[in-house]
Amino acid sequence: MNNTPLVQLENVSRIYQQGKVQVNAVTEFSIHIQAGEFSVLCGPSGSGKTTILNLIGALDEPSLGTVRLEGRDLAELGRSALAKLRRDRIGFVFQSYNLNPVLTAFENAEFVLALQNIPIAERRQRVMAVLGEVGMGELAARRPDELSGGQQQRIAIARAIVSRPAIVLADEPTANVDSATADAILDLMVRLNREQGITFLFSTHDQRVMDRARRLIHLRDGRLVHDEVRG
Amino acid sequence: MQLGTMAWRNLMRNKRRTLITAFSVAFGVLLSVTFTASGDYAYTNMINTGAIMGLGHLSVEHPEYQDTPTMDKRLRDAEDIRQHLLQASGVTAARIRIMGQAMFASGAKSVGGTFIAIDPDQETPAYNIFLRTLVDGRCFTADEEHGVVVGAKMAEKLNLRLGKKLIFTLTDKNGDLISELSRVSGIFKTGDDSVDGALVLLPLELVRGALGYEPKAASLVAVFLDDHREASALQGVFAGIWAGRPDIAILRWQQSQPDLAGLIAVDRLFNYLLQFLVGLVIAAGITNTLLMSVMERRREFGIMMALGMMPGQVVRLVLLESCWLALLGLALGVVITTPWFLYMAGIGIDFSRQIGEDYSAGGVLIDPVMKFRLYRESAMWIGGAVFSLTLAAGIFPAFKAGKTPPVENLKQG
Repeated sequence: MNNTPLVQLENVSRIYQQGKVQVNAVTEFSIHIQAGEFSVLCGPSGSGKTTILNLIGALDEPSLGTVRLEGRDLAELGRSALAKLRRDRIGFVFQSYNLNPVLTAFENAEFVLALQNIPIAERRQRVMAVLGEVGMGELAARRPDELSGGQQQRIAIARAIVSRPAIVLADEPTANVDSATADAILDLMVRLNREQGITFLFSTHDQRVMDRARRLIHLRDGRLVHDEVRG
Repeated sequence: MQLGTMAWRNLMRNKRRTLITAFSVAFGVLLSVTFTASGDYAYTNMINTGAIMGLGHLSVEHPEYQDTPTMDKRLRDAEDIRQHLLQASGVTAARIRIMGQAMFASGAKSVGGTFIAIDPDQETPAYNIFLRTLVDGRCFTADEEHGVVVGAKMAEKLNLRLGKKLIFTLTDKNGDLISELSRVSGIFKTGDDSVDGALVLLPLELVRGALGYEPKAASLVAVFLDDHREASALQGVFAGIWAGRPDIAILRWQQSQPDLAGLIAVDRLFNYLLQFLVGLVIAAGITNTLLMSVMERRREFGIMMALGMMPGQVVRLVLLESCWLALLGLALGVVITTPWFLYMAGIGIDFSRQIGEDYSAGGVLIDPVMKFRLYRESAMWIGGAVFSLTLAAGIFPAFKAGKTPPVENLKQG
């Protein structure tokens, strides 16, 4: 059995230069995330949640320390290899859905599979299956501007999981939807985690998300203040 | 979802902006067609006029005749060469001519000038501008051994009218002076005083006899082509045929009329330069628009890259957008250019009030009516250049989109 953590952050710091000022977004942050976790990075605004998601998601590079995904040091990968890693192993759910406005719901969900050059027939089958999973099968032909916020976020979730990634990184996924929709979306993600074993890592300060998490990673000023694992 | 489809939909997101940009491409097509087609028409006209003024599109002559056109430089079997030339594909006519300098005298006075000795049985107005521009009388016939056709200006200088005597004196193949008496059968007026005041058409047989030439000899064979652009190719073909004949040279119109060729080359160069500069201005506008479109969508590119789109695919997407823009612009260009082109090809704009009827350059008369003619290769060139320039205009925005790290793009919006 492979005991290598899915995600390993070792003494990671991320320092931004804003004009002449250095901003320490994340400082000496270390954490391991195992496959199948349903974890939340929580903390106030500016605590470094999104920066950590960006580092794990291979969108940003640490100033110091090491980020590993499935044992691979991301610093050793070039731009194309990182893009391939994101395409094949990571799913993203963003705060404001961020669906492509020129693509239909089906095409948005299909996007990553198209990048992977999956044959059209297989793409269609997988996309329709996952749209069914998130309850959007009948709205597949609609463009984002014809969908509600909740429906758009469901499509974004479908887009994130359709490629069967190792981990889904969700940045404030409930921030722009009403309570009922937020509950429905969270229930969907919990179900996907339980039934399909998909690893989820959220960044949020939404209590509803934290209530469902099995692990809460508390951050303040870019530092880990408490790592709480629930039963 | 194909990148091409996505690129098209991206363009259609802001229809007004896309349409305005496409119209600037279309305007580029219109300008380019205007410059190129007016050039194609004018140059073709000048070349063809130059050809029917004596030397043809190709001239077959003695190798030294071009530099020292003395009467001893001749083709002894010009008639046979002409028959051979007429067999070639692309050759519409071939005319035997003896050309040289002579002194022309009437009872009133004498002037120096140039003669072209022609075979009246061969010559037609289509291939002889002097016969086309006869204003009085007619060309001598084969039976009229002593007929001449003179330019209007020379007729005026020598006080000549139809039927009047004209004595011409020239140097024969041995360098001896000989004179012949002839009578004016026709007067031409091309409109170019330098030609009308110095040129005389003489009967070929009369001049052959006077010069002591062999029965089939002549200075040159002027070859007329269906399309002047074939001159180089046919020159090669004929040079191959007569490779074993050191007494034969085949000259293209550019070699036999270097002044005209130089004038056209310089004019064409300025034409292209002007088009290039206009193209650059339009391309800068397109770059600006595409860059604006890319900057507005930075977050979108960030999302796509976060989802695994390679930087190269982002570059390709933006380049495909400029590709679609180029095609749309070309299509619009065809739509707005066609009526203008048809008008100019059929009717044109008459500048005779501004430049007169007898404006000449490079030794040939210029048609005062500006018209259009567009060769297929010119049209292809315009299409290719406009497409390439529009595509090139997208290169910087495309690399800007693909080069920015996804995290930077995600911070936007």
